[in-house]
Amino acid sequence: MSTVARTPGGEVAAFRDVSKSYGRVRAVNGLDLVLRPGETVALLGPNGAGKSSSLDLLLGLRDPDRGSVSLFGGSPRAAVAAGRVGAMLQSGGLMADVKVRELVTFACAVHPRGHRVDRVLSDAGITELAERRVDKLSGGQEQRVRFALAIAGANDLIVLDEPTTGMDVSVRQAFWASMRAQAAEGRTVLFATHYLEEADSIADRVLVLHRGRLIADGTSAEIKAKAGARRIGFELHPEDGAFEEAVLRALPGTVGLDVTGQPGGVRTVRIRSTDADAGVAGLYRAGLYPRGLEVTSLGLEQAFLTITGEKDAQDDALEESTR
Amino acid sequence: MTTLIQLEIMRTLRNKRYLMFTLLYPALLYVFFINAYSGGEVAGGIPAKSYFMVSMATFGAVGAVLTGSAQKISLERKSGWVRQLRLTALPGRAYTVGKIAACAVTTLPAIGVVFAIGAIEGVRLPAGQWLGLALALWLGSFVFAALGVALGYAAEPDAVQPIVMIVYMLMALFGGTWFPVSDSLKSFARFNPVYLYNQLASFTRPGHGLDTVAVAGLAGFLAVFVAAAAYLYRKDGKAA
Repeated sequence: MSTVARTPGGEVAAFRDVSKSYGRVRAVNGLDLVLRPGETVALLGPNGAGKSSSLDLLLGLRDPDRGSVSLFGGSPRAAVAAGRVGAMLQSGGLMADVKVRELVTFACAVHPRGHRVDRVLSDAGITELAERRVDKLSGGQEQRVRFALAIAGANDLIVLDEPTTGMDVSVRQAFWASMRAQAAEGRTVLFATHYLEEADSIADRVLVLHRGRLIADGTSAEIKAKAGARRIGFELHPEDGAFEEAVLRALPGTVGLDVTGQPGGVRTVRIRSTDADAGVAGLYRAGLYPRGLEVTSLGLEQAFLTITGEKDAQDDALEESTR
Repeated sequence: MTTLIQLEIMRTLRNKRYLMFTLLYPALLYVFFINAYSGGEVAGGIPAKSYFMVSMATFGAVGAVLTGSAQKISLERKSGWVRQLRLTALPGRAYTVGKIAACAVTTLPAIGVVFAIGAIEGVRLPAGQWLGLALALWLGSFVFAALGVALGYAAEPDAVQPIVMIVYMLMALFGGTWFPVSDSLKSFARFNPVYLYNQLASFTRPGHGLDTVAVAGLAGFLAVFVAAAAYLYRKDGKAA
């Protein structure tokens, strides 16, 4: 274990070998994870990957079957009581029969380090909704009120479970700006999301959860790299000399190769690479002359599918071998 | 915690259904009963306007408290508001305490409205008895608040509505709410909290003191309901 993880000052939250089952379903399986101050972390995973369960454990809404969860060096419950954590849950309802302003006023009043109500309303972008009844809001508006409850005080950690669900595109953009503003104030932000774009553009660290396990942890660029998520594309023309496919396959970082076109004619090459820089340098070193060279990112979405797909294949193979 | 209690009280008083069922409905029924008996007496020689003033006040109070606690708690467990509250610095019990406090406040208008009609219709009591009666009925309503909390944690919203209605109506039917309990049924009625609740008013009759048996019975029900509510509340906390 790293020294950072051992000093409570250097960790916001820590999962240590945490497991949680519901009946026969293992929602979280041996999760080890440390969040450090100031990070903006995206939690990615398909439905049923254990995202919401992990957040429940983190917030002390449920207790793990095995392992331990700590927040700011203590129990989640203590951190919540001290007003260090604000959270917006998917399943978090709102009080009916009250106005938005009344609800936010309440949230600010019960927070040990509560902000001014007007500030919270404006930070959450709901100033114009303040006099509306909570039970008369649209889904996206409700989400923003939930967000307001999560930022009602000077929290050190903000936890958001699929915060932009139900928001249309323009509102989502505004919401991301609010999230970034929270992170810019030095708060640690952890959010679960379905939107890869959200993770890519906001998070400086991405966690990929799959079947209750953490299968990738790094920057969005690292996750893409791990998946071989850059594509090198070019053409090889016959007048520039002959080539062997084996040479391409031997390029550093190559995980996938696709060559089209007639032998003896113009060949189109697509390489999926974990290290596009070294791959391109290797092309020239091999004496090739790539034309129309393009290096493109496959995007986090493709990377995500690749990683979880590979993991599925591994798990299936393992099951097969133990059968 | 006071902020939560304030908010709970305000939203209850603002709720139109509350006004309908706990203020208007018992008041209208009371006026109806007075007219039906046309100023006469019910069995046992008590003037109808006095008898039904108490039974309609308790009817309104029990209704206010049961719907205010059982239905709200059940709905808010389902909607996730209870979970959301657990993510605030408030202690876990604050939610339940807030609900009971709101109930306690909202029973007062339910009792007050019926008393006001009674006074207009000619019920005459010494000032001390008015106050004592109001206090007794107000304190008695806590028994039903505890029952409501227990039901709210025991059942899902779909189920809690009919359960509350059935429990409420059966207790009222055999508790002397709409007609006095006949002597043959009195041995059963002793196990009906609404009957005991109505008996709290007996000290206002000439020659009667406070019905200590009713007080003891209600205290027993309170203990049972509080224990059930506490058990169900803790169970819910583990599963939330």
